Amino acid sequence: MNPAIEEQLATNLYYDRTFDCETAKILPGEYYFTNKPMLIVTVLGSCVAACIRDRVSGIGGMNHFMLPDGGGDSSSPMSASMRYGAYAMEVLINQLLKAGARRDNLEAKVFGGGNVLRGFTSMNVGERNARFVRDFLHTENIRIVAEDLNDVHPRKVYFFPATGKVLVKKLRQLNNYTLVKREQDYASRLKINEVGGEVDLF
Amino acid sequence: MADPNTKFLVVDDFSTMRRIVRNLLKELGYSNVEEAEDGVDGLAKLRAGSFDFVVSDWNMPNMDGLTMLQNIRADAALSKLPVLMVTAEAKKENIIAAAQAGANGYVVKPFTAATLDEKLSKIFEKLEKAGA
Repeated sequence: MNPAIEEQLATNLYYDRTFDCETAKILPGEYYFTNKPMLIVTVLGSCVAACIRDRVSGIGGMNHFMLPDGGGDSSSPMSASMRYGAYAMEVLINQLLKAGARRDNLEAKVFGGGNVLRGFTSMNVGERNARFVRDFLHTENIRIVAEDLNDVHPRKVYFFPATGKVLVKKLRQLNNYTLVKREQDYASRLKINEVGGEVDLF
Repeated sequence: MADPNTKFLVVDDFSTMRRIVRNLLKELGYSNVEEAEDGVDGLAKLRAGSFDFVVSDWNMPNMDGLTMLQNIRADAALSKLPVLMVTAEAKKENIIAAAQAGANGYVVKPFTAATLDEKLSKIFEKLEKAGA
């Protein structure tokens, strides 16, 4: 059996000279959270990122994911893609709560879901991801205080969890193919690795 | 499949997750399902109603799934209740802690319907053997 796909804590940390602070860069399938005055950065194509923080304590984090193309109706609670999306959201929120955030204090800003993967034959992947993240937060009573979703451009998102500030740069011109390639790799990883884990210990 | 009237309690702080598990159970033929949003709520419902099976998340506010499991095992009226942990925690320590606390099974999210089915069947099989 292929190893189950798992959300990973981002490991790419560096010092950002422009913003003069420690920075975590997250890739598709990763997330990061902190209670320090840090910056979390990611570049989104058709993927979505939820920036979630406790508006009182400032503990916050960001994820970066897409729904796997499981075929069928992705809005059905039965679908593998929705189960994966819920998992990706839960992993981040659980970490925030464990770090001391309070569920009642959580607020979210959501980005991405651009229609940038033109090679994809199925429906608009970006739109589907955007709809999922909105619906999920609505169902879980986590308020969306800002969003920049859909459209056709990739975005670079800068999130400062301590203050909640977000900067979004729309990338109208891609200088290389890295972003699209990275998302396609992530999409095929989700497809190849069975989305589902089990443990036999009992 | 076991008795389709088997009464399940699904304990998870995410209503999305409760809905997913409820729908999966329904697809497997079990439609007698109630929900609780954390361990405290779960324990209260278990003590008030006659449940046959618990499917619980681990990380929850107020009381987490492991503590709820320990409370179930320590309660004479509930101690034999089968409990399946369904959690995003894939770490070995977590799995061992759940096993030591007396979990009947452990499924790591995001899981498939087939995995859930297989786990439930295994647990029912073992219970049947133990009861026979």
